[in-house]
Amino acid sequence: MADGEDLFDSILLADEKYRGEGYREGFQRGTRRGLQGGRRHGASHGARLSSEVSFYHGFATTWKCLLDHSTDVKSRKRLKALESLLGLIRDSPLDNPQSVTLQSNTDKLRAKFRQVCSMLSVPADFRDIHTAAGTSF
Amino acid sequence: MKEALSLVQRLSAHPDSRCWFVSWSPSGTLLASCGGDRAVRIWAREGDSWVCKSVLQDGHQRTVRKVAWSPCGNYLASASFDATTCIWKKKNDSFESLTVLEGHENEVKCVAWAPSGNLLATCSRDKSVWVWEVDEEDEYECVTVVNSHTQDVKHVVWHPNQELLASASYDNNICIYKEEDDDWECRATLQGHTSTVWSLCFDATGERLASCSDDRTVKIWKEDPSESGQGDLSWKCVCTLSGYHGRTVYDVAWCRLTAALATACGDDAVRVFKEDETSDPTQPVFSLAAQVPKAHSQDVNCVSWNPKEAGLLASCSDDGDIAIWRFQEVE
Repeated sequence: MADGEDLFDSILLADEKYRGEGYREGFQRGTRRGLQGGRRHGASHGARLSSEVSFYHGFATTWKCLLDHSTDVKSRKRLKALESLLGLIRDSPLDNPQSVTLQSNTDKLRAKFRQVCSMLSVPADFRDIHTAAGTSF
Repeated sequence: MKEALSLVQRLSAHPDSRCWFVSWSPSGTLLASCGGDRAVRIWAREGDSWVCKSVLQDGHQRTVRKVAWSPCGNYLASASFDATTCIWKKKNDSFESLTVLEGHENEVKCVAWAPSGNLLATCSRDKSVWVWEVDEEDEYECVTVVNSHTQDVKHVVWHPNQELLASASYDNNICIYKEEDDDWECRATLQGHTSTVWSLCFDATGERLASCSDDRTVKIWKEDPSESGQGDLSWKCVCTLSGYHGRTVYDVAWCRLTAALATACGDDAVRVFKEDETSDPTQPVFSLAAQVPKAHSQDVNCVSWNPKEAGLLASCSDDGDIAIWRFQEVE
């Protein structure tokens, strides 16, 4: 009779057994898919931010080289603002996406960039560049 | 003793348009107005009446939202929805465009000159506040861009005797800024209004700040030095005027000579409040001294006290008019 009991058990418990297996499989697949989605999201946002900040860095470095040998008061002031922009880029916690100061630091950076553009009489509308670089990923 | 507001003169300043703002020159002899017709007009007294002396056109492509006189009275700044700020220089009796300040992404909402005359602040719908430095050659250079608000910044105003700047925003907050290593940083955020803060005004000493809002109240803020620590400032709300205004309060003006507080309201009224002299300075009490319910036929946008002639008040409205009032105590 023991065999018979097992037979009935396997039929009666099949529902529970397969549900458990299905849950595990689904959970694993979901985890994988979530990780992939998260990675894609992180990569695209990281790339966008990195391309934006790298653009500021290149911009500031180039202008710094152009102004480096000027000694007039106006150029000194501009250089000082460029230095402060480069300082903000240096201190930005770009390698730590969980940093609590990343957002506020990026806001400060953008504001500084706009000030620098105004001082250099360069129109600050570079949005096309960032979006183009960001969406190519 | 009773107080009253009597109409001195009504001027059709910006016909078929809105008059957004009026500002008295530091000497009190000229009144500048601006409006939706993209023009700035300068008014002066001739005999017993006020007449238009000059029209500043072609400076802006869109609505001129605010105008501000430099402390010396020789320059006028105009902030416009075309994203620029124009600086005008007074030459004899006329004004010429000196320079155009560009940089804001969209509508410039306000411009204000610091008491020293060396600094200028502008704010915009782009959520930022900019501080510009003026040198001897009339050159303007941006010294800072601050993003402390999360929404449209409506108004900026300087402290009367310290280098402190205050701004009001659609995010319901007021920010107070101080210079720190060449940069201006927000040192206090005043929270309390439950809707857009439209305007701000310091009293004569700068110890208190009045704010007005879409929440139909006026609040009086005072610095609390005991809680102002290392660099940060603490301002506390010491009084809220509620129940007087039927709609949005668009402007508040604190008279430097008489300490009377005037308000401009969306219910078309102009009101004047006076502080009870016997009230506790830490809990001041203000009471309504005078009001004109239908001061204008539409929203009143601005009120401004003449800096030299006590009791002379100018108001302007969506109906395009400027009204000049005399506030006085009558037996």
